[in-house]
Amino acid sequence: MAVLKRQQKMKLEGGGLVLFQEVSHAMAAEKLLKAAGYIVRLVAPPPELRKGCDLAVEINLVEQPGIERLLKERDMDYVSIDPIKIKTAPLLDVVKVTDFGKWVMVKAGNMKITYEKNSGVIVNVSGGGCPDIPYLHAELVDKRLDEAPRPKDLGFTLCALNLDRAFDECLTLFSGGNPK
Amino acid sequence: MMLTAGTVPIKDMPLILGRVAREGDFLVVDAKRIPCTQGTGAMISAALSTTSYLGLDAPRALLVGDIGEGKGSRELYQYLIDHIAELSPTVLALHYWLPDMSQTRQLCTTIEKCERRPIMIADAASMYSAKAAGLAEAFDIFTPDATEIAFLADPEATHPAYIARHLFETDISRAPELAQAAYKNHGAAKLLLVKGATDFIIREGKVLATITEPDVPALEPIGGTGDTITGLVSALTFAELELHEAAIIAARANRMAGKYAEVTPATKVRQVIAQFPAVFKDYLCQWSNVCYVKGGN
Repeated sequence: MAVLKRQQKMKLEGGGLVLFQEVSHAMAAEKLLKAAGYIVRLVAPPPELRKGCDLAVEINLVEQPGIERLLKERDMDYVSIDPIKIKTAPLLDVVKVTDFGKWVMVKAGNMKITYEKNSGVIVNVSGGGCPDIPYLHAELVDKRLDEAPRPKDLGFTLCALNLDRAFDECLTLFSGGNPK
Repeated sequence: MMLTAGTVPIKDMPLILGRVAREGDFLVVDAKRIPCTQGTGAMISAALSTTSYLGLDAPRALLVGDIGEGKGSRELYQYLIDHIAELSPTVLALHYWLPDMSQTRQLCTTIEKCERRPIMIADAASMYSAKAAGLAEAFDIFTPDATEIAFLADPEATHPAYIARHLFETDISRAPELAQAAYKNHGAAKLLLVKGATDFIIREGKVLATITEPDVPALEPIGGTGDTITGLVSALTFAELELHEAAIIAARANRMAGKYAEVTPATKVRQVIAQFPAVFKDYLCQWSNVCYVKGGN
């Protein structure tokens, strides 16, 4: 006899909030994100984070880049995406560059890209722990910086966002610019 | 049984569970070919290399395709939550996935109720979610790198992208200090293997060992050379070495494999993994007193 098992409702401990000016924007965004498969919920933002209306969408903060991209693609107005914890540091923007002679490694947060100086070919991607990073590794390695896809266009997570910052710095260095 | 779990970058690949085998440059699990590249593939490949050398059962792997959308990750953790009691591994190594604090909490709660608790090892985003959910102490080993130890030390951070700048802007030499902060904040596993120019083995805030030789700086840019350390320590733990011994040998073996492979920043991780049997043959007896295994010296 087939046993039907009710699917457990997914719980959310997301750590991130999408903030809006209008309640209707928050409700429309929640509907859009749920339809796209994201686990999200409507919540009241804490007073310290209120930038507009009293309704926000709680998200898994790790999924920030993919959610931002979807909201922008659909012209959904939102104010910002912030960590729920008030004391959380702002998104890390520190970039470090290591010269390996023939190659240069650029590190942004927990992500690193290494490319060959002469050709601009990406030879390695390392760091991170989110599932889009091995995918981005496969998509980026052995491609020239100016021909490779941007991590922020293919990735979905904060690791991908950091990788894109490293990528951006690599482009600057490869084009002869100074490190930021 | 050693169970490894994580995502692989194959879009829409369904959940699979099976014994790991090698086929050329690929791993094979449940008749699916998995690339031996950065991420879970490199971790499992290093573990398989170790168990093969020691004549132990090959690891079992629970894998799912996920390129970052999260659906596969949620299926993987739900499967673990539903089946971990019957799987009953002695070592459970958790790796890449889309971190979800709620599912991590459910998994840890389920494992606490298991008749036999596995030795729990986490790296990559499985470590991120364990720390973010306040469950780091439920784990036996974490394998953070220099950035990730800063993340573990930051009581507010839920992902390494959001760690405080003053913690990030430190070098690996401050790892013991950051580890102490992580232990104080309940953000560390019982044992930490901090990977970097110097590898630190730290238990409850105390540095048990540091490994600096051989010095192979070109290992850092190679995607997957942190994952291989996690695979090594998992397999050596499965071989019943003490946790700290397994961690020390894993760090040494990874460095030595880099030296044997004569790595450059352009080397691929599979070239490093290919050196593990030679490294074990030359050094495992000396490092561990495990001297009478098949293929050993």
